[in-house]
Amino acid sequence: MKFLLKFFIPYLLASLTFFAFLAFVIIARDASFSFDNLITIYGNLIFTGFFNTILVSIITLFGSLIVGFILYILSLSSIRYLVALVDVFTEIIYGTPLIVMIILMAFLIGPAFDNFNRPFLGITGLILYIAPLMKNVFKSGFSSIPKEQYMAMDLFGFTSFQRYQYLIIPQVIRILMPPLMNNFSLIIKGSALLYLLAFPELYYGISIAQSRSFLFVEGYILLWMLYLVITIPLSQFTKWIEKKIIG
Amino acid sequence: MNIHLKNLVHRYDIEVISNLNFDLTGYNSVAIIGASGSGKSTLLRILSSLEKPSEGEVTMNGMDIDSKAYRKKIGFVFQNHNLFPHLTLERNISLILEKTRGFNKDEAKQTAVKYLSMVQLEDQVYKLPKNVSGGQAQRASIARAFSLNPDLVFMDEPTSSLDPVLTYEVLSAVKALRVLGKNFIFVTHVMSFVKEFADYVIFMDKGLIIEHGPPSILTNPQSDALKRYISYT
Repeated sequence: MKFLLKFFIPYLLASLTFFAFLAFVIIARDASFSFDNLITIYGNLIFTGFFNTILVSIITLFGSLIVGFILYILSLSSIRYLVALVDVFTEIIYGTPLIVMIILMAFLIGPAFDNFNRPFLGITGLILYIAPLMKNVFKSGFSSIPKEQYMAMDLFGFTSFQRYQYLIIPQVIRILMPPLMNNFSLIIKGSALLYLLAFPELYYGISIAQSRSFLFVEGYILLWMLYLVITIPLSQFTKWIEKKIIG
Repeated sequence: MNIHLKNLVHRYDIEVISNLNFDLTGYNSVAIIGASGSGKSTLLRILSSLEKPSEGEVTMNGMDIDSKAYRKKIGFVFQNHNLFPHLTLERNISLILEKTRGFNKDEAKQTAVKYLSMVQLEDQVYKLPKNVSGGQAQRASIARAFSLNPDLVFMDEPTSSLDPVLTYEVLSAVKALRVLGKNFIFVTHVMSFVKEFADYVIFMDKGLIIEHGPPSILTNPQSDALKRYISYT
């Protein structure tokens, strides 16, 4: 009952407010408005895209976590060149629009290495684009552990692997979780640009449906709703993890 | 114990230890005292292999302080307990025994509980460090140092963040553990504890050892620096 009053009802009302606004703008519009054609004729295409978007996002999440961790380790290196390399790479990526990154990857960098697999190159581009952000997530997490604790780990004789497994990761996961999920949401939205490579993700599916049915506005609204269907449960899931598992 | 320092220099941005030469044989409880910034904590960290000296030669009981064998023979009590915050008091000890000292799970747990009981923490075994008082956490940290069965226990101002009541509590725990027959090297500002517990005192100022000798040097200081230091405490 308390949960209902304090949590559920306010959030339900807030959500309805936004839907009411959406309904208002739809009704206030003169032109006719229908999702029927979109869903009945192009439903398959759109839902394939929906699942591809989720799949690509998960692959990119793990890929960028791995590359980001490698970048983080390199940034701690005693070899100045490696540290500088990571810094320069980070700066370049920060200033690069994702669209440029994906196009360069698929039409310039990939072909230079005799690779013409566009979905692969597109996802690689996305991974490389997110990796510096992941590096920073690791950096802020790991630097939150005081120097004395690292001294203690050293003194007690834990191996590097044991340190991460038992001491570092369990402590930093709480700090890492929110920025990690921010990045995941960037990945999901960023994956829309893979449509440029004719990769059948959600936006690609929608854009084909739009161009054949001429239901442009409806297409975008459906696209919007479907992204929210992914991102809202995800952020709720993150909050739940923070609360339940980490305490 | 045996301490041997030759041409020891340590610097961060500035020099904190300047060309120390020092040898000591015998004694089993050495106090290092001095004002803040005198280099005493740095010296303690070097002796305990937590920090690598910039220059010079250090051996302890004839062992190279860089060796793994030496590290297995020492315990360290940090200034602010430095327990791992996500582990219970018991797990703070048993994890180390299990993963780095080859104990099995049950032995590790029993040993942890045994040492925590020695510092009167038998009721707090499964609490997280944040849920016990500063004095209790520091006592757990002392139990952790002793549970590794070290030959030599280092303590870096173990009571600096505690009020007088908790200070008394922690120092009583240390005294109670004296029966285990360990050697001690410690840094503290609590002079009554030095007089009672130490059998040798090293006084440092500006990165140098100014005076050293039995605790009686505190009642009869020779240098101006030690006279001034004592007048403040």
